[in-house]
Amino acid sequence: MTAIWKNPEFVRHLRAELRVTRALTIAVVVIVIALLIWLGCWGSRASEMAAMRRSAYFTAERLAEMERQGPTQVWFSFYQILMFAQLGILTLWSLFSCAQSISGERERKTWDFQRATRLSAGELLIGKLLGEPVLTYFIVLCCLPIALLAGLLGRVGPGNIAQGYLLIISGALFIGLAGLWLSNLFESRSRGLVLIGAFGLYILLAFVSQAKESNFPGIAALSPLTGFERLFTKGPFARATVFGSPVPWGIMSLLLYATFGFWLVLMLLRTLTKEYEQMRPLSRWQAVGCAAFLNFTLYALYVPRTLTEWDPFTKFMAAVNGVILFAMGLAMLTSYERLKVWWRTRRQTRWALFAEDGPQWPWLAVSAAVGYGLLIWGLFAWKNTLGFEIGALKASLVEFAVVMIYITRDITFIQWCRLTRMRAPVLKGILFASLYYVSTIVLSTVFSVSSETLGQYSYAVLTPAGGFETGPSNPHFQMAVFVGMGIQLALIVLLQMAIVARLRYAIGEVVSR
Amino acid sequence: MSVIELANLRKEFDDLVAVDDLTLTISSGEIYGLIGPNGAGKTTTIRMICGLLEATQGEVRVAGKDVLGAPEQARQYIGYLSDFFSVYDDLKVWEYLDYFAHAYKMPESEIPARVTEVIAQAGLEVKRDGLIHGLSRGMKQRLGIARAMIHRPKVLVLDEPASGLDPKARIELRNLLRSARDEGATILISSHILTELDGFCTSIGVMEKGRLLRSGRLDEVILATTRTRTIRLQWLGESRDQVETTLGRVVSVSGVKLAGNEGEFFFSGSNDELSQVLADLITAGVRILSFREVKQTVEEMYMKLSSHEVM
Repeated sequence: MTAIWKNPEFVRHLRAELRVTRALTIAVVVIVIALLIWLGCWGSRASEMAAMRRSAYFTAERLAEMERQGPTQVWFSFYQILMFAQLGILTLWSLFSCAQSISGERERKTWDFQRATRLSAGELLIGKLLGEPVLTYFIVLCCLPIALLAGLLGRVGPGNIAQGYLLIISGALFIGLAGLWLSNLFESRSRGLVLIGAFGLYILLAFVSQAKESNFPGIAALSPLTGFERLFTKGPFARATVFGSPVPWGIMSLLLYATFGFWLVLMLLRTLTKEYEQMRPLSRWQAVGCAAFLNFTLYALYVPRTLTEWDPFTKFMAAVNGVILFAMGLAMLTSYERLKVWWRTRRQTRWALFAEDGPQWPWLAVSAAVGYGLLIWGLFAWKNTLGFEIGALKASLVEFAVVMIYITRDITFIQWCRLTRMRAPVLKGILFASLYYVSTIVLSTVFSVSSETLGQYSYAVLTPAGGFETGPSNPHFQMAVFVGMGIQLALIVLLQMAIVARLRYAIGEVVSR
Repeated sequence: MSVIELANLRKEFDDLVAVDDLTLTISSGEIYGLIGPNGAGKTTTIRMICGLLEATQGEVRVAGKDVLGAPEQARQYIGYLSDFFSVYDDLKVWEYLDYFAHAYKMPESEIPARVTEVIAQAGLEVKRDGLIHGLSRGMKQRLGIARAMIHRPKVLVLDEPASGLDPKARIELRNLLRSARDEGATILISSHILTELDGFCTSIGVMEKGRLLRSGRLDEVILATTRTRTIRLQWLGESRDQVETTLGRVVSVSGVKLAGNEGEFFFSGSNDELSQVLADLITAGVRILSFREVKQTVEEMYMKLSSHEVM
């Protein structure tokens, strides 16, 4: 691996974006803006002091003490603004520049030339991750001495300043990785979509800091704002925990960035030098591993607040596993070409059903089984809070089975869509699947107008929600849930048959150009 | 020695077979023209040779390296240029080439000299320190070729390199490619503009519907597609009758067309027989001014092949 300062991709960005005149201009602008901010802080403190002097509330001694603290306060406010500004600029620009990186190269038709060189996926990744936002890294570099001085004069400890910068840099790298991943995921023509996605991601990361009061407070550490806020706030503060043990927010952020970042890096390394149609972010085993990691993380970050009983907890985990399975299923979709190759060679392959290019359902079943296994482990780990009962295991087994069957049906349907001549088949497949859920909910609601029981039964037969319903304990309702599962299984079989029929047709009568 | 070897190469896109069972060998030092209509599978083949696209099945070897199995090793031997491409407008000409020299992992000490050398070959010395943004389309195309040549690849793969270029830029492009060949590179060039390849390629391959219809040395392919040769002659004086009578006696002559002091006929015999025809004309008192075979152009050869006249 080439050293970063020799990485050709990084050097390219450095040369293009930081020519001497531009760099000097930026440095001057940074100094001028910093000076204006300092003047603002000084002015604000001066008018605050003037107001206090006019007020009869403060004694002469108190005023004198405040006068003494004045300069320190000014420098502290100045330091705080500088740090937040650096965090905002670096994370925002890292996300947006990285999110436009690969899709932009595809659009400009320069991407193939990079892929045709001897640069490895790792070298391209590092070069782009640090190179795309190089201008903002330079801004941070220009700010560094000023912030350091302001922090020290504002009586901020050097350790605290270092923590702040560690959070800024690690947060920017993580968010940049997410941007690159997003950029790699979309074709050149979807560049606008990438920007919308990046904007959504930024908002999400900003809001995720609110999760510190939830049952999974550690998730809030995904936002660098959470740890940052802690650096500037004194007094009681919600804490992140790992298996109930408190962990500083900064460490929590670094832990999450390292682990989630690992999966992003893995997906990027697997796909970065591939042709768009041939990209497969995770292998089947990796997808199972990723599902296990996400489950494990949730159990580790769990703090009993509102979810203090096993019933809502298992339901929540089953629903979360539905989302995880769906995402993993999408990552496992096979191209038409590779599916044909699998079909041709399946007889010569051992364990053909579990092959990389084969169907998704065996692996979704494995992922769901791993998720269920981890739920048992999670319930056992939190048995003092949630209780570890056989009833919990039975109910959650049904919930997991329902989720797995419905998600398998949706993924099989989307796989079938990929074999048709549809444009944007994955997107359309997701839309059609969503349409199914919306229409069944509407249908069940309409039925419930005439008869509540009928509505409940149709709800149980047609949607996965029945599996989560604990209210009606009559055996007929539970039977309706199983009938619903049976119908969905039959649908999966039908979809598999349609896929096989399509493959047989394609292999038997391939149309030559 | 073979530099490019394709064995049973196949590429499928959905229901379409873009390249079907393609087996091809290109020897070192050749300029190989891959011709065919749009959608024949040329670009797909080229992208598989460069390791940009994975084959559905088959094998690609460049300079003995398996492109699919060891792409990074194989890429050091390949220089690639596609039809419509863009360059990094915010870089200077030398920075652009320096970037690719590093990206191809050339030895650090060789890079500055090589960049200067390639800039000179591309005729861009004056623009060396200028931003690429200010270059004309033809200059950018030459810069693209210079980029593909920067790491001294054994194989230069060019996909429709002259698309959108004016005649002057095309001539400059040809000259640049000749200099690449003189450096020892084997060139694989695809085009559907057949006049571009005439008199430039040493070998040729004709693709249609994903299949290679014919491949080999240019003269051999032309000969193989030609049942009859066209002979054109000119003479002095009033010898039209003698010419007509003499040619009329030869079985392998057909389609005689005479006008004034010149004429044309198709000949299906051997070189010895053709030489005898010339001797007979002279013996008959015809004062021959010129007697030559009209060479078939690549275009004519392609038209014959693609219309399945010769299969």
